Amino acid sequence: MGPETQKQHHHILPTKVALGIGGALLGLTAITVGVAHIDLGKFNFFIAMLVATVKAFLVAMFFMGLKYDRRENGVIFVTSLLFLAIFIVLTSTDLFFRGDVYVKGPLFATNSSQSKLKKPWLGTPELVKKGKELFSVQCTSCHGVNGEGDGPAASALNPRPRNFHSIDGWKNGRRATMIFKTLKEGIPGSAMAAYSTLPADDRWALAHFVLSLHPEAPKEDTAADFVKIGINPAQEGGGEAAVPTISIAMAMKRMASAADEQTHLYHPEFDRVSELKLNGALESRGARLYQESCVRCHGAQGQGQIKVQSLGVHPVAFVTIQSFQNQSESLKSEEAFSKKVVQGLPGSLMPGRGDLGTSDLHDLYQFVRSLAGR
Amino acid sequence: MSNEDMAVHHHAHHFANADDEFEAAKQGMWIFLVTEVLMFGGLFVAYGIFRGLYPEMFHEAHQYLAVKMGAVNTVVLITSSLTMALSVSSTQKGRKSQAILFLILTFILASCFLVVKYFEYTHKFHDGLLPGGFFHNTELTTPKAPLFFSLYFLMTGLHGVHVLIGMGLIAWMVKRSLKNEFSPQFYTPVELVGFYWHFVDLVWIYLFPLLYLVG
Repeated sequence: MGPETQKQHHHILPTKVALGIGGALLGLTAITVGVAHIDLGKFNFFIAMLVATVKAFLVAMFFMGLKYDRRENGVIFVTSLLFLAIFIVLTSTDLFFRGDVYVKGPLFATNSSQSKLKKPWLGTPELVKKGKELFSVQCTSCHGVNGEGDGPAASALNPRPRNFHSIDGWKNGRRATMIFKTLKEGIPGSAMAAYSTLPADDRWALAHFVLSLHPEAPKEDTAADFVKIGINPAQEGGGEAAVPTISIAMAMKRMASAADEQTHLYHPEFDRVSELKLNGALESRGARLYQESCVRCHGAQGQGQIKVQSLGVHPVAFVTIQSFQNQSESLKSEEAFSKKVVQGLPGSLMPGRGDLGTSDLHDLYQFVRSLAGR
Repeated sequence: MSNEDMAVHHHAHHFANADDEFEAAKQGMWIFLVTEVLMFGGLFVAYGIFRGLYPEMFHEAHQYLAVKMGAVNTVVLITSSLTMALSVSSTQKGRKSQAILFLILTFILASCFLVVKYFEYTHKFHDGLLPGGFFHNTELTTPKAPLFFSLYFLMTGLHGVHVLIGMGLIAWMVKRSLKNEFSPQFYTPVELVGFYWHFVDLVWIYLFPLLYLVG
């Protein structure tokens, strides 16, 4: 087979045209640089993009020969630009016109579901019936079908779920208001999550059903109980006070900035840390360890008591950070304290610090005790 | 089989004739350029998103780029595109030495582009105007400004890599031209390297205003 030759119909870009296009491109560059020095607001961007597109058009049509090329090559190239346009337009419409999904409404999320009943804290057969239905959906996986604390998940839990047929061991008390409180806040340190997302009436219904499981009538709700759960029994429906909660990310941020700036956010008059600083006591190793590891959650004065919406538990759980200012179980002995610090508190935000040695723990214990004022 | 001036190209056996081969090669190049559009496209979208999110930051940060150097590089690159186009048409016309001259001119202009880029980059390094966590400029304190330089270095960096590859290809074309491999009957590689080079120009045509001018 002899040598093949390409047919002679290929377009050759005339030198004059090439020079003309080159000149036009340089001219357009001058224009775009010049215009950029005049402040035209938003139009600067559009003019720059328009000029760039004209330049790109010239390069593609003449230098790359799309004008003389087979049409399908033009279609291929323009299609890629079309897809790029879809990429840009859809991404930006999603991002800029979806509305703010991250922080919507007030900083604090509130549960404003009010009871529609007049006195929901007084049990009625209707409420118990409704509670039974809700119980079978919400509670049986842990508390068991009959509320004996023997649901399928119970064996994995420590502490074990409450057996409602027993009269003893009710952590918050066997009263409608206190069960309502448990449902609202959960029990920190246990698997009992907060069910604050349930409407108030549903929570009351559940409370009454749970109480109905034991033949003995529940104790009367005291005035103090109502205060505890933020309910005014004189008011219709109780006017449940909304508990502000914030997300864990927000809480960590706020606590970190509070700790970093040493601002006196909580109890300026009792700011123990600045007191200790004046006395030079902050130089102690325990204080330093506390500053490094504990202050972000437990606060500069060990005041704790910060409610954090815990992640990873469904439904939402609220964890209240332990306060050192009250006498707490964990401070009774150095041994108990060290155990908690090393092992952490499973199910809570308290991490284990197995990296701390005995002397670290001793110093930390001394410092935390000084915070507790003992 | 070959005359003293021009080598004769034999088309590959799976093509009916040299013309089919030429068209197929060209279409392949266009499809490759489509993938290039989409690769740079991702960066352009990132630019668009962050510019939309932090318009003030972009405005502040872009003032730290050297518009003059960028403009000089634009002129250099456009001129190199012109010399590349002229080199292709010279090859098509069988003017070998002229074609080689234009190729070498293109190569020199490409080097100029990279030299200017080198000075720009070293200046940015010196001022601590670096991407993300490496940023340590004390004058530009606008929040998120390091993000602008992440985009700047990514976009111009990827473009710079293309310039380098283009220079390699152009050098290869010079070598093959010197060996008389091209003729008015066969100039596919020069044409396709030309496409690549024009595409590099095309990307810069957008990068320059987006980064240096409008910010």
